[in-house]
Amino acid sequence: MNFVAFQMLTGDKAKYFGLIFAIAFSTFLMSHQVSIFTGLMNRTQSQILDIKDADVWVMDRYTQYLDEVKSLTDQDLYRVRGVNGVQWAVPLFKGSTRAKARDGVFRAVILLGVDDASLTGVPRKMLLGTYNSLREPDAVIIDQVAFEFYFPNQAMRLGDTLEMNDHRVRVVGICDSAAPFQNFPVVYTRYSNALGYVGRERNLLSYVLVKPLPGVTGEEVATRIKAATGLEALTYEQFGWRTIWYYIGHTGIPINFGITVFIALIVGTVVAGQTFYIFTIENLKQFGALKAIGVTNWRITGMILLQAFVVGAIGYSIGIAMTAAFFETTKNVLDLRGFVLLGEIAGGTAVAVFLIVILASLLSIRRVLVLEPAVVFRG
Amino acid sequence: MFTKYGVPVIAGFLLTFAIVSMVRMRPVQAKAEPPVSPPVALYANQVGAVGLVEARTENIQVSLPVPGLVTKVAVAAGDNVHKGQVLLVLDDRDLRAELTLRQAAVAVSRARLEKLRNSPRPEDLPPAEAKVHEAEQVLADTEVQLRLIEGVKDKRAIREEDLQRRRLAVKAQQARLEEARANLKLLKAGTWAPDLRVAEAELAQAEQQVKRIQTDVERLTVTSPIDGQILQCKVHVGEYAQAGQLQVPLMVIGAVDTLHVRADIDEEDAWRVRAGAAAQASIRGNGSVKYPLHFVRFEPYVVPKKNLTGDSTERVDTRVLQAIYAFDKGVPLHVGQQMDVSIEASTQTGGGK
Repeated sequence: MNFVAFQMLTGDKAKYFGLIFAIAFSTFLMSHQVSIFTGLMNRTQSQILDIKDADVWVMDRYTQYLDEVKSLTDQDLYRVRGVNGVQWAVPLFKGSTRAKARDGVFRAVILLGVDDASLTGVPRKMLLGTYNSLREPDAVIIDQVAFEFYFPNQAMRLGDTLEMNDHRVRVVGICDSAAPFQNFPVVYTRYSNALGYVGRERNLLSYVLVKPLPGVTGEEVATRIKAATGLEALTYEQFGWRTIWYYIGHTGIPINFGITVFIALIVGTVVAGQTFYIFTIENLKQFGALKAIGVTNWRITGMILLQAFVVGAIGYSIGIAMTAAFFETTKNVLDLRGFVLLGEIAGGTAVAVFLIVILASLLSIRRVLVLEPAVVFRG
Repeated sequence: MFTKYGVPVIAGFLLTFAIVSMVRMRPVQAKAEPPVSPPVALYANQVGAVGLVEARTENIQVSLPVPGLVTKVAVAAGDNVHKGQVLLVLDDRDLRAELTLRQAAVAVSRARLEKLRNSPRPEDLPPAEAKVHEAEQVLADTEVQLRLIEGVKDKRAIREEDLQRRRLAVKAQQARLEEARANLKLLKAGTWAPDLRVAEAELAQAEQQVKRIQTDVERLTVTSPIDGQILQCKVHVGEYAQAGQLQVPLMVIGAVDTLHVRADIDEEDAWRVRAGAAAQASIRGNGSVKYPLHFVRFEPYVVPKKNLTGDSTERVDTRVLQAIYAFDKGVPLHVGQQMDVSIEASTQTGGGK
């Protein structure tokens, strides 16, 4: 019987491919848009995730997200060090400034100042040079976006100079950084140098990075820091989510993507449902004949569902492969890095496609179930 | 044929490609250790502090009592000096000239006193005595003249006028004799005592002025106040050195046989630290090297925290309790170095004691 169902499905090529492509494009649209959305949101926490050494971030109590920095006092670092369960705590500067190349090209950059003594927070994925060179005077590490911007179409090299706040800085390393939300270049320097590069600011201490003692979880130590110092302490996951929620709550981005995904869902359901419905109606005679020879309603329902799943599986495979192919081709484009197809999104899309085909087949199953076999032979 | 079998097979391939691609693209969130270990917590309960290495005697900034031109710098940075050793000398030419002048004034006063002490001059006496003698002789002569005229019996032979003149002459001559005798006595008596005392006082004053100039000259030579080491020497021959506390001290001296570290404890954490609490310090750049510390004392006055980042403007953000700890002898550290200090905190949560 399943073979018959499959024969019926592939018998009408136009509708067969129509169904497959409706599902495929619906899949592509949904998974692609959701991937871009999550990628975009993930970019907002890039600098948090790029700091691989620390588990807990300490900040001002009213910090809303990563880029909104209110400096702590220098002594807060030592107060955090005094909290039980803290293995170590180091300062981190995060700010933005302008960097100018010798030919006058300038751009706003994200400046990260890492602890002088331990270099906690330096990028680990170096494309050229080593992060230990940061100990040299006036040394900065820039990311590949910065290099591409200041020295376009040139082979990567070290030793070039840039100007930041009237200071000459020397590029000692090029790193691979996760793309920030606005895709600004990222520049790393030492904490003690950062002040000179951003100009007059009273306090430098943007964040305190904390590693809990072995056996103490990040949440636990964050709670203790909060209680002991009155500062906000979050694990890097919590802080990342806080930053993401800020963007979700305060920008129109989720609404825009939400509408696109919703339309993809509706269009997929309507097109697939309609095509499937017409397909079933056209095959009513065959179903009637089957009923006449004694095939049960359950059996026929099973056949229709099988057809739906085959179409759904093929369409989904094509659609998800299109999305994967898109991100495969863009993964080496600097400005589009960080946009990937996640397994979770693929899984979610599969569930959505499953719902579409169920919904589409339900419409037509009803007609078959109420069908009188005699009707088939009338004409 | 293609429709029946090809499409599902292609779909299968595409799905495989998508899955492989997803697995490959999935971002990895690997945690990493810091390149160099930051200072880690050493005690279950601890207070973190930033410390500055200083000399046992604290760092003494050598100041001058008077400003002046530097003519000699007798030590260099790093020299070990003992108490009283000459560090630097200022230009003293004007004071030397003044000293000679004052010494001359002493000589003058001394000579004047000598003169007064030695009066009367022996050569002055004979003329005065001769004057007395002369007056005696003249008196004797006038008395003879008077007697002669008084011896005349017949008063008519003499004029009353002559008699009176000779009597007055005797009296006048007696007065002259008394004057001559008095002059001789005055001469013999020598200098009046109060005059002598005035001259003595003047001499003492002149001598004191010499001493004062000598002291002023001595003050131009700056000596070491302690046994210690020259930690910094920012003064050179030919420079004009200002007196008093300077922004950049001329010289910094300290005893470095034992180094101390001054740990700034935030006022909010100050209650957690007890006198005598165990502590360790780790060096910047290598958190794995730790030096044991021995409690010395608290600075009794809680001061505004100064930023130690080396920026020229002072940035005060809180007040700190300063605890002084001593290192073991012979640690390879330098005065002025920054350390991360961990101090064991008391577990007691309530105040009161």
